[in-house]
Amino acid sequence: MTAVEPRSEASVRASKRTEVLEDRPVNLDGFVEEWPEKGLVAMESDFDPQPSVRVEDGRIVELDGRTRDQFDFMDTFIADHAIDVDTTEAAMATESVEIARMLVDPRTPRAEIVALGRGLTPAKILDVVKLMNVVEIMMGIQKTRSRRTPANQAHSTSAKDNPIQVAADAAEGAVRGFAELETTLGVVRYAPLVAIGLQVGGQVGRGGVLTQCALEEATELDLGMRGITAYAETISIYGTESVFVDGDDTPWSKAFLASAYASRGIKMRFTSGTGSEVQMGNAEGRSMLYLEIRCILMAKGAGVQGLQNGSISCIGVPGAVPGGIRAVAAENLVASWMDLECASGNDQSFSHSAMRRTSRLLPQMLPGTDFVCSGYSAVPNKDNMFAGSNLDTEDYDDWNTIQRDMQVDGGLRHVREDVILQVRNKAARALQAVFAELDLPAITDEEVEAATYANSSDDYPDRDVLADLEGARSVMERGITGLDLVKVLERSGFGDVAENYLQVLRQRVSGDLLQTAAIFTGDFVPLAAINDANDYAGPGTGYRLSGERWEELKKLRHVTSAENPEEEVV
Amino acid sequence: MTTEVTELTPADYPLSINRPELLRTPTGKALADITMAAVVSGEVTNDDLRVTPDTLVMQGRIAESMGRRQLGENCRRAAEMTAIPDEEVLAMYNALRPNASSAEQLEEIAARLEGTYSATTCAALVREAAQVYAARNLLAEED
Repeated sequence: MTAVEPRSEASVRASKRTEVLEDRPVNLDGFVEEWPEKGLVAMESDFDPQPSVRVEDGRIVELDGRTRDQFDFMDTFIADHAIDVDTTEAAMATESVEIARMLVDPRTPRAEIVALGRGLTPAKILDVVKLMNVVEIMMGIQKTRSRRTPANQAHSTSAKDNPIQVAADAAEGAVRGFAELETTLGVVRYAPLVAIGLQVGGQVGRGGVLTQCALEEATELDLGMRGITAYAETISIYGTESVFVDGDDTPWSKAFLASAYASRGIKMRFTSGTGSEVQMGNAEGRSMLYLEIRCILMAKGAGVQGLQNGSISCIGVPGAVPGGIRAVAAENLVASWMDLECASGNDQSFSHSAMRRTSRLLPQMLPGTDFVCSGYSAVPNKDNMFAGSNLDTEDYDDWNTIQRDMQVDGGLRHVREDVILQVRNKAARALQAVFAELDLPAITDEEVEAATYANSSDDYPDRDVLADLEGARSVMERGITGLDLVKVLERSGFGDVAENYLQVLRQRVSGDLLQTAAIFTGDFVPLAAINDANDYAGPGTGYRLSGERWEELKKLRHVTSAENPEEEVV
Repeated sequence: MTTEVTELTPADYPLSINRPELLRTPTGKALADITMAAVVSGEVTNDDLRVTPDTLVMQGRIAESMGRRQLGENCRRAAEMTAIPDEEVLAMYNALRPNASSAEQLEEIAARLEGTYSATTCAALVREAAQVYAARNLLAEED
């Protein structure tokens, strides 16, 4: 599509410096020119609609240049469910630059800008965020994210779908601080065993960790209803009608599904992100961010409490175009501003460059989001069945150091080796006991030992996959529930793990985790954007890293003692 | 379905800590009755670990008191759905997928939601979907 001068292989002599630069990892990344007609453009496109709204008889009859007879189903759903009809005309009359300034200015309270946002159309929201540079976008995120205390989420998966590995890495992830743990499969039929591994391991590291298993919608809901998982996230939505239909859903089916989860007391968020529509071949000539804003408003209209966005599995697309990573930060801002919990990407891997990987995460890590990563790989990336993450286990010490350097809370902490070995071992033993009690293929002591000291799936003895798959089938056939697992853990001597698990299940009765951005503290106190609402109002306010938590984050693997320079602080 | 739901404010959240006396399991047990001993003895079953329609309505009101109108509506639909068995909820979801149902089939679902489960807001959502699907050519082909 572009006229590129072919690179001459033989004739041109390159400088030594060029050779060095050619070898830099960043040059393995893919970059492409914009192509706005096809939607291959981050957020500045002449083909996006102009903002407009018209209300007649208490109903929106025109939205962003289209009249109701021209609406596609996204327009209809957004007009009828997302936008506040009573305030929209006044909100839309506010100058975009004025709204952008309100987002940045700490003297405008969050509640005021959120209320104004309820009346805006997708094109108007785009018009506002287009005025903001990346630092202003970060200012906006700092103020508009819904929960006061930032948190983080991990992937715990295995290239061999080994449930013992998933359990041990879940336990380590939990003790390092992740509030949510997510798994998925290579072989989908393994799901019940891996989901059990994740759940059991997650309850070992510390109390209050929530788990989920990413599967096809109906199966994911089934595992949730049984109490084998605690929340759900991979409920995908898209910004064009054609791609939404290709995904075999509509805004109405997804809204119905949102209520289905809530009806069982299960926390749930939708997933969307820039680049998905152009990647799936039907962006209808709109910019990536315009389409993502439509997704955000659809999610809001459905009444789902939150959204995982920030391009997620399509990050290679915005990552390849100019201003793309700025647009990704902008979509997190819009989700936060629309008063949704935001699990803000830094998920699928997108770059070979360590510098690019780091710069990509700063717009979320520095201001803080509800979940800075919606999938930090708590396993080595080669074991990551979500196709790798921007951050993995090798980056733990770097992450902890950046937290300490910048005095920001990215949700993790350094943990001593003996503690990590202890929780990994205990998770493997707990799962061993569960498998034995449920008559599933045995977990050997050799496997427990391997789990204690392992790094990747290569460090574990191979499992009998066919026997495991048979066991997985029987878990579903026998109708094993979370409560069955609690009982098994209790009677096999893992009473504290059983108690943690029971606390998670018990919360379904209260519905407390259904509120916006709800997580648990280690003591099972629900923290949501109600009792822990973001109160940022400029310097000296909002979440500040201080006190006990700051002392915890000052610790790293190697810190020299001030009193005795020959010693390290433990 | 819900006759007397206490006035709630954001200060009541989390209900599990601040207002446990308002919470019941679907079989009428209190939150404090869900103990390990009761689980082991079989007194607490999987049916207890569910949210009741009353609790969902309460959470919906708390959401609305925070200005979250749509989350409140979602809680109301969810309250209605608590009565519907798991398999049927999944079947209804699948029927709402694009090109999966005819107008008549969607109307049958809406009528069943309304008649069998008194799920009027859910029924309204299904009827709204049927209208939009008709306009956007997303109904199943008639045989």
